[in-house]
Amino acid sequence: MSDLATRNTEGDIGRLSRRDFIKLGAAVGAAAGTLSLGSRRLMAMEQELGGDDISAVTGAQRQSVPYTCLACNIEDGGVAFVENGRIVKLEGNMDHPNTRGKLCAKGNSGFLHVYDPDRIMTPLLRTGKRGEGKWKRISYDEATSLLAKKLREVIDRAQSEGDEAILNEIVFKWGRNRTGGAVHRFMHALGSNTMINHTNICESSKKVGLEPSWGPDIESCDWANTKYIINFGSNVLETAYFMNPNAQRLVDGVVGNKAKLVSFDVRLSNTSGFADEAYFPYPGTDGVIALAMAHVIMNEGLYDAAFIRDWTNVTAEQLIAHLKPYTPEFAEQESTVPARDIRRIAREFATTKPATTFSYRGPAKHVYGAYQEAAIHMLNVITGNVEKKGGYCLPRGMDWPQPQPEPPKGKTASLLAAPPLYPLASHHVSTHVPYMIMKGEAKVSVWMHLYDNPVYTYPSSHVWAHLFKDEALLPFVVSFSPYMSETTELADLIIPDVTYLERHDPESMPSGLYPCLSIRQPVVKPLGGTQEFRQTLIDVIKKVDPDGSLGIQQYFAFNSVEDWMRAHFDAIPGLKDEGGWDLMKRKGVWPIYGQVDKTTAKLVDKNGNEVEPEYGLYKKPVPAADLEGAEVGEDGTIRKDGKAIGVRIGDQSYVGFGTPSRRIELYKQSFKDYGFNPLPVYKRLPSRDKRSDELVLTTFKVNVHTQSRTASIKYLAELYHKNPVWINPKTAAARGIADGDLIRVTSDVGHIVTRAHITEGIHPDVVAVSTACGHSAYGRLSQLKQKEAAEEWAQGGDPDITHNVWWDDKGVHPNPIIRLSVDPIGGSQGWYDTLVRVNKAEPGDHYGDVETSVEVSIKDYEQTLRLAYTGDLHRINHKEVDIDWDHLPQPALHAGGH
Amino acid sequence: MQTHHQTATQSSRPVASDETIEERAALSGLYKLIARCLEEELDRETLRLLRGALREPLSAAGWTLDADFFATAEDTLLEVLAEEYTGLLVAPGCVNPHASVFETGALFREPCDRAAAAYREAGFDYRRRLSGEFPDHIGTLLGFLGHLAEAEAEALRRGDTEAAEQARQRYDRFLLEQLGPWAPGWCQRAARAALHPFYRQVLQFTEQLLWQALAEITDRRGLKELLAKNRREPQKLDYNADFRKASGL
Repeated sequence: MSDLATRNTEGDIGRLSRRDFIKLGAAVGAAAGTLSLGSRRLMAMEQELGGDDISAVTGAQRQSVPYTCLACNIEDGGVAFVENGRIVKLEGNMDHPNTRGKLCAKGNSGFLHVYDPDRIMTPLLRTGKRGEGKWKRISYDEATSLLAKKLREVIDRAQSEGDEAILNEIVFKWGRNRTGGAVHRFMHALGSNTMINHTNICESSKKVGLEPSWGPDIESCDWANTKYIINFGSNVLETAYFMNPNAQRLVDGVVGNKAKLVSFDVRLSNTSGFADEAYFPYPGTDGVIALAMAHVIMNEGLYDAAFIRDWTNVTAEQLIAHLKPYTPEFAEQESTVPARDIRRIAREFATTKPATTFSYRGPAKHVYGAYQEAAIHMLNVITGNVEKKGGYCLPRGMDWPQPQPEPPKGKTASLLAAPPLYPLASHHVSTHVPYMIMKGEAKVSVWMHLYDNPVYTYPSSHVWAHLFKDEALLPFVVSFSPYMSETTELADLIIPDVTYLERHDPESMPSGLYPCLSIRQPVVKPLGGTQEFRQTLIDVIKKVDPDGSLGIQQYFAFNSVEDWMRAHFDAIPGLKDEGGWDLMKRKGVWPIYGQVDKTTAKLVDKNGNEVEPEYGLYKKPVPAADLEGAEVGEDGTIRKDGKAIGVRIGDQSYVGFGTPSRRIELYKQSFKDYGFNPLPVYKRLPSRDKRSDELVLTTFKVNVHTQSRTASIKYLAELYHKNPVWINPKTAAARGIADGDLIRVTSDVGHIVTRAHITEGIHPDVVAVSTACGHSAYGRLSQLKQKEAAEEWAQGGDPDITHNVWWDDKGVHPNPIIRLSVDPIGGSQGWYDTLVRVNKAEPGDHYGDVETSVEVSIKDYEQTLRLAYTGDLHRINHKEVDIDWDHLPQPALHAGGH
Repeated sequence: MQTHHQTATQSSRPVASDETIEERAALSGLYKLIARCLEEELDRETLRLLRGALREPLSAAGWTLDADFFATAEDTLLEVLAEEYTGLLVAPGCVNPHASVFETGALFREPCDRAAAAYREAGFDYRRRLSGEFPDHIGTLLGFLGHLAEAEAEALRRGDTEAAEQARQRYDRFLLEQLGPWAPGWCQRAARAALHPFYRQVLQFTEQLLWQALAEITDRRGLKELLAKNRREPQKLDYNADFRKASGL
């Protein structure tokens, strides 16, 4: 700034020197900061989250409609802004107590799902060979009639043969079922129990590591109020369970509350990058690190003696004895993490209060992943951090009633839904389904699937393609997908659902410490006259049982989908008084705990005081009425009508935890009954004994994609669309691989040809490939076909794709070469147990080549059954368990349905 | 859009001669026929019309349907055509027939509003018959032109020049603004993608008809502009993933 020339008349100010100018300007600037100088009329557009939104074109206020996100599974609260019947913007719902007005990148771009020209907008009936891509458009009425006819044929056959087990030939598989009980109602009405979830390719062994111990299947850390966090194998800042709310509160804790974050991951995730200390353990060794920390805590007397005594089913002495082999030095040998660091972190964790761990797929997605999760969980228990402010808390959700009458479960248990060889896997073993069908163990007549794409998302995914192409094994396949996924393109009939922004669902996700209900409602009318899944179910049942003679129409006697939702919400105590369903439509969430303070981002009441979550849930007293007629056992368990309802400790009766003893059961009798170790142990995996030329293949999610469903979203595809193999520089150099080189990654199942991304941010014995790339279906953007065959594919006339797609790489999907390998306890797929050889590509290799073998995958299936509780390897791996091995329980179907 | 409107020639004022009436009625008929062929799958009645009464006139107009079209059994042909229609214009990966998708890359955008507004102005409401249909579907847009041409012819027949002029203006504007910038080029691309000769021929015929109709109401400069717009080709990047380095995520 040069000196300012000003008018030099009497009374006017004179020449302003640069020094004075700066001084004055700085003073004004400072004052403006505190006194809000400047125009009071001008303000940034769309400044306040959850506030009004104004059309930049017309100046009119946009309609705002609350909803619950389903871009992924976190179910964040959202608000859609609608102008002229179109969604113009999505943002977070400030009334949602756990997501506090924020959506992630996937959530913000979710409206592109609605208007995607590659969306399936009408029912399609296959006309060519299965998978050939030939279809005929039909109406929803024709489509639901056809499905009803196929279902009725099965029902009639079951009746004529007097065999209700035939009803289990009606199969429903989902990847994401957020229908609030609609699918179960539908299947139970049809009399089938063959409902197959996706959980064993997700975190089922985490759930099974936790459920027998304290009841629920996940923890809810009080990140914001903690002082010390140990993260095992979760990338919580980007993707893990409850990513958005957890990431917010993790940052609150680390930045706002000066908490220390220690992260263990085989890869430098963004969470590890954010940590105070990051360690790169060998895959599958998180459990031994946790056990070694427990060893230090117990042996150095750093444990919470009172909590262990009062609230667990073990003694300190018992734990010390059990943990004896797990010295930090042993853990170092197994994990490659230095013993001194394990010892130090254990001491810090035990002496810094409050503290918590968090874990996700890293430890759980291995054979014996349930042990690893149980070991991590134990750290919180022995240090007394459970249900403390800033500690390791129980998840908080709310229930809602189902409309009455409800259909009873099917009368015959389903083999496919719950394989008997996995009695502890409460979330079942969906990976085994194609193998069981191919081996003739179960028959299928009608296969329906919703939000599910196993031909892409499962390990050895080619096996699922093999199954779906076989019309003898799956005679009639129905997809409810609004997108032509790799699995949907192998259907016989597509009855497209709408997107999550156009349909109704009840929700309650324990995504934070404030329990709440939320809803999904159409923020705009279903586009182009499409029909939501819930209406399709009503229509199908009415056609299966047109005159009510089967007795199942009564379960779907809703005049409209909204009536169905009213039946969920209008009778809930508290909510009913505030308006029931009508309130939910206006607010999207209930209860309203307060508002988000704009400075601290904490929930505050009308006086500005923080609304604290409730802690110590297990210490709530058993209601006096419940105690009447109850009995207290020798161990203090309070039972009534044969059911444990609480625990007596001293002279107090507490509700306790959701276990048979109402205490935390670190010792799991159910594990022992099947020959597994009742206490958390470390089992050295075959991948730990790999050959020197082998590497462990791991996969990971990225922050802008789900596993499968977001590849067609333009904003997200532009951000992330290729997935080269992360490989350590030393590892790469030993193989003569340079950054960007074409490489061949080979497992026993087959190989893929992809590219190398050389980075220090990965363990030298590991390679990592992200999911979400390398689609062969899911719309033209995800396939990038316009580049390969412009004449045929670019004709659709999407200028965004034809002109704005600057990338030419859709990535390569790793799942085909990942071997089937299942945790015999929790049922989880061992995603991170596949060994591969990585070399420079061979002559003739092309980027994207995939070669696999169904036969080898079938051998993998047989091999993994040897680990199940009836298998020979189970005994070999559990010699320490004191049990009569010759009298293990016989494999049995779950009685009474699922 | 407005620039095109201004290039429309002033020669489109309707003249109440028998020749004009005949011409507008014929134009209406053609639009209605191709609208019927493109808006939904061919039905039995239309198929019979094409194979019967219209066979010769169509052939004379240069739209010669191939021998298979006449030889194939009716039910079989209807099934084959329905499958081709779905693959070409309905299912994911199709040549999306909606103006919104062509112009913006998304379903149900402003071109949809503009089409619906034009229908309302002319006294029509839009009601879809099957899910996934929108007012800016090429078949519906063409059908609307047919209605406008018919309205003009009828007005001329009854000597209502004011109504005829209004219908003509609506026709010119709609053709020029809602179809002119993209529809002929879209027809050409869709014809290339069609696997069945019937749809290839319908689309080629539609393209010709549209250019002819546009040439009647647009001066040379305007036509040139429209040609350029209709030539909007997708960028054809070479698919060679090998050249790009993997790093720099």
